[in-house]
Amino acid sequence: MGVRRRAGGFVLLVNPILCDGFGHCAELAPDLVHVDEWGYPVIVTEPVPLANLAALESARYAVRGCPRQALRIERVSDAH
Amino acid sequence: MIALTSPYLWYTTRATGLVTLALFALVVSLGTLVANRAGGTAVGRFELNELHRTIAAVAIAFLAIHIVTTVMDSFVSTGPLAAVVPFISSYKRLPVALGTIALDLMVAVWISSLLKARIANRSWRFIHWFSWLAYAIALVHALMTGTDARHGVGLAIVIACLAVVAGAGAWRVLARPTRAAGRTALSPLGAEPDARRAERATDPTPVAPSSRETPSRENAPSGPGPDDAPFPRRRQPPRRR
Repeated sequence: MGVRRRAGGFVLLVNPILCDGFGHCAELAPDLVHVDEWGYPVIVTEPVPLANLAALESARYAVRGCPRQALRIERVSDAH
Repeated sequence: MIALTSPYLWYTTRATGLVTLALFALVVSLGTLVANRAGGTAVGRFELNELHRTIAAVAIAFLAIHIVTTVMDSFVSTGPLAAVVPFISSYKRLPVALGTIALDLMVAVWISSLLKARIANRSWRFIHWFSWLAYAIALVHALMTGTDARHGVGLAIVIACLAVVAGAGAWRVLARPTRAAGRTALSPLGAEPDARRAERATDPTPVAPSSRETPSRENAPSGPGPDDAPFPRRRQPPRRR
């Protein structure tokens, strides 16, 4: 596995074409995802630091739990 | 080699067959709950999904035991190839072939789910529909092959499985949501936290009372939505007709 890199951040991205609004992501990653009036996710857009392991883990659960495989985690170099 | 001639493998085959049938009934029902957007209040939708996946893994393990013990057992002469290729078993050709077909379909569903991230979602859904067919064939297989399923507890299990899966199928067809069913109560918006409510209260955008009405499940994607969403909207609703 090597060294876990703590620098940088990540964003959780949704593919709105695949998404069918199951709402699992909002339950699995409530800090990152809200659902709108129609049940579709609205995701925090600013990068979350990778050092925030709880958020990263919840994001991974959301990616894994999505029934439509519509979520992915993208790493970004700078985290604010 | 004593075990191969003893009746225990045969007993294991019969027992795991019934257990597999019951477990897959549970898996199909949970899958229906997930697909119909059940849960979200008392039990999370993601929990139903996790149960669907993990119980499916357990059921596949029992199915593997069922098949391996059938092949190993010397009481009936089903060769190893008859476990995957239908209509070549010398013992009860048609009933065993039905089980084989159900197994092949379930393996297809399983593999497509393992490859879910790599294949198109439409392909996965198309293959996943075959789990209903696989379950129906497995029920016929249980009734035709097993002498256990004709009376007593075995018959009760088969009838219960049939009732559960038929009910799930009817619900899937009748109450099939094609689009979102709205927020779940477990999600933060369902609870409507105070900060968000305050933010909405200070929102200067005037809102017409008519656009406040909550959209029902049928017209949720096309219905008029409130204009005071406190967060940037990702998905533009369709224009009003």
